[in-house]
Amino acid sequence: MNDMDARLRRAVSAAVPDVLDSVLSDCGKQKGTVIMMSEKKKHASRMRRIAGLAAAFVILVGGLAGFGVYRSNYAVASTISLDINPSIEIQVNRKEEVLAVNPLNADAEIVVGTMDFRGSSLDVTVNALVGSMLRNGYLSEIENSILISVDSSDPQQGAAMQERLSAEVSELLHTDTFDGAVLSQTVAHDPELQTLAETYGITAGKAQLIRDITAVNPQRAFEELAPLSINELNLLAASKPESVTVSGSASDKAYIGRDAAEQTVLENINAGADQIAWWDTELDFEDGRMVYEVEFALKDAFGEYTAVVDAATGEILYAQSTPEYSPEQPQAEPGAVTAAQPAQTEAEYITAEQAKEIALAHAGVQNASFAKAELDEDDGRMVYEVEFRSGGWEYEYEIDAVSGTVLKSDREFDD
Amino acid sequence: MATKTLTHASVDHAALDALLLEIADEKQEALSRLYHATSAAVYGFALSILKNTHDAEDVLHDCYVSIWQAAGGYRPEGKAMAWILTIARNLCMQRLRERKRHPELPQEDWERDLIACVQPDSEDALVLDACLRRLSDEERQIVMLHALSGFRHREIAALLELPLPTVLSKYHRAKNKLKKSLEGEWMA
Repeated sequence: MNDMDARLRRAVSAAVPDVLDSVLSDCGKQKGTVIMMSEKKKHASRMRRIAGLAAAFVILVGGLAGFGVYRSNYAVASTISLDINPSIEIQVNRKEEVLAVNPLNADAEIVVGTMDFRGSSLDVTVNALVGSMLRNGYLSEIENSILISVDSSDPQQGAAMQERLSAEVSELLHTDTFDGAVLSQTVAHDPELQTLAETYGITAGKAQLIRDITAVNPQRAFEELAPLSINELNLLAASKPESVTVSGSASDKAYIGRDAAEQTVLENINAGADQIAWWDTELDFEDGRMVYEVEFALKDAFGEYTAVVDAATGEILYAQSTPEYSPEQPQAEPGAVTAAQPAQTEAEYITAEQAKEIALAHAGVQNASFAKAELDEDDGRMVYEVEFRSGGWEYEYEIDAVSGTVLKSDREFDD
Repeated sequence: MATKTLTHASVDHAALDALLLEIADEKQEALSRLYHATSAAVYGFALSILKNTHDAEDVLHDCYVSIWQAAGGYRPEGKAMAWILTIARNLCMQRLRERKRHPELPQEDWERDLIACVQPDSEDALVLDACLRRLSDEERQIVMLHALSGFRHREIAALLELPLPTVLSKYHRAKNKLKKSLEGEWMA
C-alpha cells in the first residue's frame, strides 16, 4: 500500500497546475490588497443591476411617501443591532428617535418584554435594553461580551453613534461583579450578508463579524462560528478583524480554566508538575464545544503530548502522544520482549503475538481487544501495525518487526 | 524542491512551521517553498471534494493567497499541514455553496482531465485511475489525504469531521478495493 501511496502521490504531483506565479502576483508586497479567484469571478454586472434596482425602489417609495417631514421623521435612517446571544434590532430616524425595536430571537423577546420604545431616544432605549439584559442574566460575569453594530445611511453619523453607544454600554457594564467587553462595528449594506444572516438566523451585524473573523482566521468556517455567542467569538478570535473595535476582555469564567485543565491532564498521566518540560494550553472550539487543547512535553521522554479537555466539564476527550522515533536512542521498553537479532528473512521477525505483548506493555494495559496486528512495510522497514481497544481508549502502535522497538504510539479516546 | 513531496509522505512539520513564520514576515520566497512542499496535498484534497479541475485550481490559488494573508495568526505548533488543509477545506465548502446557487454550470469530465496530466499507461496513472473510478467520494478523500498529506487517521477524521472508526474502516476498505482493482489490471 505504501507503494500505492507513492504512486498516487507521483500521479497527483504531476497533475497539479502551477498557479504559483499568479499567487505571488496577487499577494504583491502589500497585505490586505489581494484578490481572490472567487471574487474575480463574481458576477459584477449582476450585482450592479441589483443595486440599481434597489436604489430605484427607494426613490419610488420616497416619492410616494410625499412630503419631506414625513420622510425625515418616519424613514429608517439607521439600524443598530445588539447581539449577545439575544439579538435585537433598533431602527431609528435621522434624529435618532426610535421607530421600532425588533427582537430577532426568543431570548431577545424576553429582553424586550412589553417595553414600548417608539419615539424614545436611541440612548434611552439602548440603556433600558442593556439594563434588561443584565436583569435577565444575559450579561453576566460568565457571558460579558456584547456586539453593537451600526448600519447608517449617513456614514459620519453612523461612526459617531458607534463610538458613543460603545462608550455608554461599556460604562453600564462596569458593574460591581464584572466588567463587560464591548465589540462595535459599522455594517456595510451587502446582500450577501443579508443572505448569510437569514440562513443562520443571526443579525447582519453578527454575520459581518463572523465573515470578518473567517477572513483573518481562514481555518475557521462560517457555519462553525454562527451558533457561538459573542463572548465565545470574542474568546476564540485570536486575530480580531480590523473592522471591529473591542474594549474590555471576554470572560472565560464559564470554563474550568487553564490551570485546572493542566492539572486534570497531569492526574491522567500520573505525573507531577515538576516532570513537565513545557506547557502550551489554549482555549479552542471543537465539535460544537469549547475545549482546552493542552500540549506539553515531559522532561524525561521523547515527543509531545496533546490532550483535549472539555472546557466546561473538565472531562478529557482524548489524549495522544507522538514520541518520535530516534535511531540514536532506541526506545525499547523495559520488560518488553527482547529484540531478535537483525535479520533478513521473515522467519526471524518477531511474531505478531510478541508485537501485541510489546504494545500492551508500552500502554500499561492488561486486557485489550485487538483490531489488528499485521506485518507491513513502512519506508523500507518491516513493522507490525498493532491496533487495540482498552478501557475506552483506542491504541495504535507501530513496532519494528526486527528489533521489537516501539516506533510510533498513539492513543485516542474511543467514541 | 518538488521531489520532497514525491519521496516522503511524512511531512517535516518543523520546516513548514518555519516557512509560515517567514511568510508572516511577508517573505515571498518562503511562500514559494511552502507551495512546492504542499501544493500536491492541497490540490489532491480539493479535487477529491470538488471533483472539478477548474474549481480545484481556483481553490489552490485562493488557499495560498489566504495563507499569505493569515500567516501572522498561525501559531507554530507543528500542525501547519492541518492548518493549511483546513483553509483548503473551508474554501472548498464555500465553493460548493456557490455552486449550489449556480447549478447551471456545466459538469466537466474531471477524471479524464486529470488522467490526461499523468504519463499514460504508467503504473502511477493506473493507481490514480483506480482511485478516481473505484472509490466512493469519502473513500477517495481519505485515501488522497493519507497518500498526500502524511496525515494520521485521527487527523484525517478531524479534518473531514468523521468519527475515527469510520475513517479507519473506510480506509481499509478503499485500500482493498484498490488492490483488487489493480491486480485485475495487471493480470489482464
